[in-house]
Amino acid sequence: MGPQHPSTHGVLRLILTIDGEKVRSVVPDIGYLHSSLEKIAEQLDYRQYLPYADRYDYLNAMGNELCYVRAVETLLGIEPTPRCQWIRVMMAEMNRIASHLVYYGALAIDTGATTVLLYCFREREMLLNLFEAAAGQRLMYHYFRVGGLRNDLPPDFCEGLRAFCKVFPRMVAEYDKLLTKNRIFRSRTESVGYLSPETALAYGVTGPCLRGAGVPYDVRRADPYYVYPELEFDVPTYTESDSMARHLVRQEEMLQSVRILEQCLDHLPGGEVNVKVPRRLKPDPGEVYARVESPRGELGCYLVSDGSDHPYRLHMRTPSYYNLQAYPEMCTDAWIADLVAILGSVDIMLGDVDR
Amino acid sequence: MRKQDDTTFLALLGLIAEGARSICVGLHITAINFFRPSVCERYPRRDGKPDWQPRPGYRGDFALISDAERPGGLRCIACLQCQNICPDKCIHITPTGKGKERHPKQFLIDAGLCMYCWLCVEVCPVAALTMTPDYETSTDRPEKLIRTLEQLRERGKEYPEPLKVEMARADATSVAPTERRGD
Repeated sequence: MGPQHPSTHGVLRLILTIDGEKVRSVVPDIGYLHSSLEKIAEQLDYRQYLPYADRYDYLNAMGNELCYVRAVETLLGIEPTPRCQWIRVMMAEMNRIASHLVYYGALAIDTGATTVLLYCFREREMLLNLFEAAAGQRLMYHYFRVGGLRNDLPPDFCEGLRAFCKVFPRMVAEYDKLLTKNRIFRSRTESVGYLSPETALAYGVTGPCLRGAGVPYDVRRADPYYVYPELEFDVPTYTESDSMARHLVRQEEMLQSVRILEQCLDHLPGGEVNVKVPRRLKPDPGEVYARVESPRGELGCYLVSDGSDHPYRLHMRTPSYYNLQAYPEMCTDAWIADLVAILGSVDIMLGDVDR
Repeated sequence: MRKQDDTTFLALLGLIAEGARSICVGLHITAINFFRPSVCERYPRRDGKPDWQPRPGYRGDFALISDAERPGGLRCIACLQCQNICPDKCIHITPTGKGKERHPKQFLIDAGLCMYCWLCVEVCPVAALTMTPDYETSTDRPEKLIRTLEQLRERGKEYPEPLKVEMARADATSVAPTERRGD
């Protein structure tokens, strides 16, 4: 199946062994989108590499920047200003909602419902407009900088975000009625794509896939960064371990993100957003691992410095790669028709897998 | 796996009824959305209204800001900082003149390689290079994507100053006014 199959979420090839309509084994063949992003880092300096961080998981560009910037700042010993930290958290949560909305629509398409995608993209548009106002672009934001941000928020940003927070929960209730409660969708996802918590942990699965299997692991709670300890939010966990559980986790997460955004808007402090950083970034030799919770799971950045102005080695622990490895386990004895629906519920991003 | 009792006649009937109900609920929601305002915008507009315009600070096509008092008529001092910071190495400058007379003889930007990251604009010490909200840059051949000094100068005439994002000031924060930015 693939690599150009319309519903494989990018260029992924699946090598299937089938017995009639039953799937006996699945081997994902990856690497079609490999762009040697990690090698490029060794030729560029710390500042120049930032726009490339967007290009791992292009639906979660802010989260990727956040991870890379955190790694570099830890290495340099820079602490961003409070206002900067709040804005960064806000942006990451907005991007989480935007990413989950694409997931939501894509899963609906995979199970045969096309309307939901259009509604999801309508709400995503509100977020993209806000991103565009702040960062100047709609997908590859490059908004974070080492030691701060490109610029402070534009004047009408907070109002726009408040308007979004007000409408969005109502919209999620609508999607819930339209898709999640739908009998056909439930038959396609309930008791399908079972992944036991032990297997999930053994494969290093993180994010909604792991929480859907009943393990309440969230980096925002397990290893809090920035202002997350001050924020009130729940980590939704379901124990059914099937496609539906993973779907419900993401749906619940969108509402929790709205909760976080509302708190961010209420607590956003004033002050500067940038701290002074040296013109040439030359960290001391050493290594650092920074991790954040991306919409797909634990996103880590391992950075080794040899004292020069470019990284000696950069490795991104991209969650989609690990989640995809557990995909064959979910497909054991599944029907061919369910393969795409299960893949949709894993929510992989091929830019994130192949990097 | 689906449960076995799903196949009994009554259960099947129940499933059909539930499915029909789901369809009605779905149609109800689509009907509501049918009466909501449309968010799509026609491009290009045909009703005489202006096309969609990005906000200031949008990272579009390049321009060099003019300055009549300087040699070459440009503000650029050909310091090569943008050329050096560019991650894609898509800027090529040929400088000419000594000291205060230094200005670019040629300024090439390969917009096909560029990823519009804004680093060159940010690093410019004299605010001479900028990105404009022009987003209609597609052409039919790659050579046309290379911006020359003349093209950059022409576009710069429309922009006396680089466009910057308006900063949030008084309304950016909901805490006490004394802590507000700029006070």
